[in-house]
Amino acid sequence: MSNTITLLDPTSERDPATRERTARPTSLEGKVVGLLNISKPRGDVFLDRIEELLTQRGMQVERYSKPTFTKPAPADLRHEIAAKCDVVIEALAD
Amino acid sequence: MVADGLVVVVKRSCPTCQLVVPVLDELARGSEPISVYSQDDTTFVAGAIDDTDLEVSFDLDIDTVPTLLRVEAGKVSARTVGWLRPEWEELTGVRPLGATLPEWRPGCGSRTQDPEVQDARLVAAMAPRLRARHVELGEAEDEIEAMYARGWSDGLPLVPPTAERVARMLAGTTREPGDIVAVVPPDLVECTVEKVAINAVMAGCRPEYLPVVLAAVEAACTDEFNIHGVLATTWFAGPLVIVNGPIARAIGMNSGVNALGQGNRANATIGRALQLVVRNVGGGRPGEVDRATLGQPGKYTFCFAEDEAGSPWEPLHVERGLARETSAVTLFAAEGVRGVVDQLARTPEELARSFAACLRTVAHPKNVIVWDAVLVVSPEHARVFREGGWTKARLREELGALLQIPGEEIVRGAGGIAEGMPEGFRDFTLPKFRDGGLQIVHAGGGAGLFSAIIGGWASGAVGSEPVTQEVRT
Amino acid sequence: MHDTVNIEAAGIPMVFVASTEFVEAAEAQSRALGADPACVFVQHPIQDRTDDELRALADDALAALVAALSLQD
Repeated sequence: MSNTITLLDPTSERDPATRERTARPTSLEGKVVGLLNISKPRGDVFLDRIEELLTQRGMQVERYSKPTFTKPAPADLRHEIAAKCDVVIEALAD
Repeated sequence: MVADGLVVVVKRSCPTCQLVVPVLDELARGSEPISVYSQDDTTFVAGAIDDTDLEVSFDLDIDTVPTLLRVEAGKVSARTVGWLRPEWEELTGVRPLGATLPEWRPGCGSRTQDPEVQDARLVAAMAPRLRARHVELGEAEDEIEAMYARGWSDGLPLVPPTAERVARMLAGTTREPGDIVAVVPPDLVECTVEKVAINAVMAGCRPEYLPVVLAAVEAACTDEFNIHGVLATTWFAGPLVIVNGPIARAIGMNSGVNALGQGNRANATIGRALQLVVRNVGGGRPGEVDRATLGQPGKYTFCFAEDEAGSPWEPLHVERGLARETSAVTLFAAEGVRGVVDQLARTPEELARSFAACLRTVAHPKNVIVWDAVLVVSPEHARVFREGGWTKARLREELGALLQIPGEEIVRGAGGIAEGMPEGFRDFTLPKFRDGGLQIVHAGGGAGLFSAIIGGWASGAVGSEPVTQEVRT
Repeated sequence: MHDTVNIEAAGIPMVFVASTEFVEAAEAQSRALGADPACVFVQHPIQDRTDDELRALADDALAALVAALSLQD
């Protein structure tokens, strides 16, 4: 048996109980796309190609790297990404 | 449930139960069947039956251990509590009994009387009657962050609404969890007592506050109060809950020092619970339906009790038609609190003029009739009226007279100010407040020659009317 | 997963790319975080693929990535 806590829903229950994903834009045209490398080997090749494809399609691409794939991204890095980018792709876990 | 014959209920942690173990062994060797139930540990009496879940103890109404009972044809025909030799001998028919024991020893409290046990029983009884959806948090989720992440918070941390906490909260009312309290705007959701209880838990309420919260929700959701309008307006208004009657003292509300401020749990959490119900059940959130330009801190929580005992006048709920011993809430669509200083007035006439001058500026000095207000008179100011022999009605009359305003002063453009009343009012004299637009209450600490004005919102069809609702316990 | 949940919490749509080996772990982590982050899976293995093979995986994944980040099909 897990240690999960169960709460009673205080809402009208008209929406699903899971945390919703944040709203998506209608299209990526003109958007700044952040590519976050989790720094596992070979991920850079994958992300280089994604960058090529997105740039061809007219999007602006910003590249970031986590210091290590073993921990969540540090707060500073997250803030920088959130300040600069409209959407983010993180890759590549295996 | 139990076998016929002799039945004894014991617990190891009771010295008298340990004392009578030889007696129980003696009776076990006798001709009559005997069942011994232990509320904690079965090993201290040979052949004891486990009753750690206390089912048998509750069924037999045990409040003391040891209890010796005789059961005939499934019914208890005799019982004795503690150890008293003559009674045990009489009930069992065995003489002598416990010859080496003292003549008598008192028993101990049964585990069924323990507060945790009573509490757990309450929770277990309530749990199947709860209907709210279960939200299971992820193992890695912090419970406080999880509630923020799901959008339930007003910005401040919430108390996690577990089934246990909600069950305890529901013990604060005799109403059924499934009863519909109100239809809550803006989403027009039928809100049950249970849903109010869940939000009351999150707000930090104690169970005894729940009846007040329920009354506040009922009042807020009336057409007259128009919570939808209050929410959706760009104006500052949020619901203010004024509490009257015996319940205020019973639940420890503050009507004195800092009554409109922080520090009192009932004041703080009752107002907050209402706000959370509107937010979470009704769907009324800032940036969505709530479009206030600036808002004000009272929209987190705004609730206080009127000081009735110290007041020279009748309380608000009595003015509004209820009996003094009836408890009630009055909902008012309130903006922030404005201070009125007058440290020099010696007569009621002078003080009334100060009040009038300040009341004139509610919303805007050139706007009349449409805007309501609450005047909170502090004890030191109230004393001026008491010593001058002024009833509340007299004060109201005086303020009405002082707040008769010539139309030419307040029409649009007058005084170089564009805001104001339409040109058509130029030749009239107008009252600052409509009939019934000004509420007067008494509250505050004993020191300070300051009173407060709490401006309202627009009255009438598109605005909000104050609503008084009885609190049912 | 944590990064995705945190950055989504800041209002930025995010998608996480992992190899197919990661499917169950991703599901379990998502449940543990009480969230449902967007995830695109590419065919395992990763480490011993050539550069060209990795670029092909990227080409194949692009449509799914765009779909996860916008209302575009």
